[in-house]
Amino acid sequence: MNDLTPKERIIRSLNKESVDRAPVICPGGMMNSAIVDVMNKTGHTLPDGHHDSQLMAEIANDVQENTGFENFGIPFCMTVEAEVLGSEINYGTLACEPKIQKEVFPSVKEVLYQDLGAMAKNKRVNAIIEATYQLSKEYSDIPVFGSITGPLSTAASLVDPIPFLKELRKNPAEAHRVVDYATNHIIELAKLMVEGGASVITIADPTATGEILGPAMFDEYAVRYLNKIIDAIHETNTPVIVHICGKMNAVRKFVPAIKSDAISTDSSISLRKLKEDYPELTTMGNLSTYLLEFGEAEKVAKQTEKLKLDGIDIIAPACGLSTSTPLANITAMTNRVKGA
Amino acid sequence: MSLNKQELFDKLAASIVDMDEDLTIELSNQVIAEGIDAYEAIVNGLTVGMNQAGKLFDEEEYFVPELLMCSDAMYSGLNILKPHIKINSHETKRKAVIGVIEGDTHDIGKNLVKIMLETGGYDIVDLGRDVSPTTFVERAKEEQAEFIFISTLMTTTMEGMNEVVEILVEEKIREDYKVLIGGGPVSQSYADKIGADGYAENAAEAVKLANNIVAAYGNEL
Repeated sequence: MNDLTPKERIIRSLNKESVDRAPVICPGGMMNSAIVDVMNKTGHTLPDGHHDSQLMAEIANDVQENTGFENFGIPFCMTVEAEVLGSEINYGTLACEPKIQKEVFPSVKEVLYQDLGAMAKNKRVNAIIEATYQLSKEYSDIPVFGSITGPLSTAASLVDPIPFLKELRKNPAEAHRVVDYATNHIIELAKLMVEGGASVITIADPTATGEILGPAMFDEYAVRYLNKIIDAIHETNTPVIVHICGKMNAVRKFVPAIKSDAISTDSSISLRKLKEDYPELTTMGNLSTYLLEFGEAEKVAKQTEKLKLDGIDIIAPACGLSTSTPLANITAMTNRVKGA
Repeated sequence: MSLNKQELFDKLAASIVDMDEDLTIELSNQVIAEGIDAYEAIVNGLTVGMNQAGKLFDEEEYFVPELLMCSDAMYSGLNILKPHIKINSHETKRKAVIGVIEGDTHDIGKNLVKIMLETGGYDIVDLGRDVSPTTFVERAKEEQAEFIFISTLMTTTMEGMNEVVEILVEEKIREDYKVLIGGGPVSQSYADKIGADGYAENAAEAVKLANNIVAAYGNEL
């Protein structure tokens, strides 16, 4: 039991099997862990690492070695899905993550649909898959997390989000068509990641929050299409983690309906309480990224200890890490989980 | 006539709460056709409706899609009524610039704050998204704004808010503006840390915060 590899530990945790201790991970994607401290130390840097598979793998490995997170988390952004489907991307800088420069369509009615297979043809997707393959072959004990952007965030990265949100209500038929389209391409990306050797897929969908959508539309759009992706990934026998942003008040009751193997939440949520209410959930989170960026290492360790005592199944940052988070604070977190 | 007028205003307000843009347009045209004061219709009809929508949003009855549809109805009504406002029939508005800080292109929250501030009677200059700290300051000067509203959804770009405050301090014009911040990763403690004048958790709160500042400082602002 004491000699679980990081990969065994996370897989056992996601299967609800016994483990020696909680894993400590950072999934990548929206929760990118390529911090400036690590990149400056190693000289392997972004934004080039968003495109070059070798560099991407090196950065992922640098992060894993330096931070103590027990996984590789790639890609380092949440823009690749929208890039493939046509939006303009700004790749950012060393310290600033890539972003959607411009959503390509003004309305769900004007989306130009691409055939399936588009993901496999994209250069940056291929860099991600090659990096996944390299890392999974070279370090077979450490899980590669393939991070994908959820269906509503992807759709709202294709269609200008203001009209998009209105059209969820005003034009549900066409809105469903766009979200389903995004979903089908996302499934292809996730499957490519699994074929490349990813052990876990994580989905973050920051547009799909209770605060933005409200309960009815969260159920109608978010739960439905998240589950479509999860079902497709489960067919490949790969576990899935879903991260839900925000305070969740309005949508808490839908959490058990999400078929993922774990639920990750923001720091404002008491995971202990969520577990009490829904004991069947495997919980992940939720160390404040504000504390990680601005707090003292000692306080980070203390807060991590609290998550351990609360029995949180997988310990991770609660949200997207700031790239200027001090490395010492992250190691304070990972060392405390590992008992040091 | 006066009952009739009030009834029409109530219907206008209800059409906005009900997100019935076509009805808002129809009723706004009726206001003009019947020679009713356009400014009164805006204040007692459109604004009342949008404030009710804001309240429902605050109470988590309405969410972002609903609030956006209410605001579409309101702006449609406003487009019809505005050209008919008699000059000098209302007081001067407080001016503000608003934008999403550089590095971030998420502007849903900023747009909601803008809508609610306009409803609340503020004159808003929208700088858009991905706005540099220097641009915030330069545009605030050009527009002779009293408020600078800055939003971000990303932890990676929060530091830009601090830079806006620093530029104001460096240029010795910090006292000329009230800097109010908001957005997902932002908090009151962050506002305190960078020396901003306030933090609001959502669009409705942003209006309250601005109103409180106006009440506290009045013409000294």
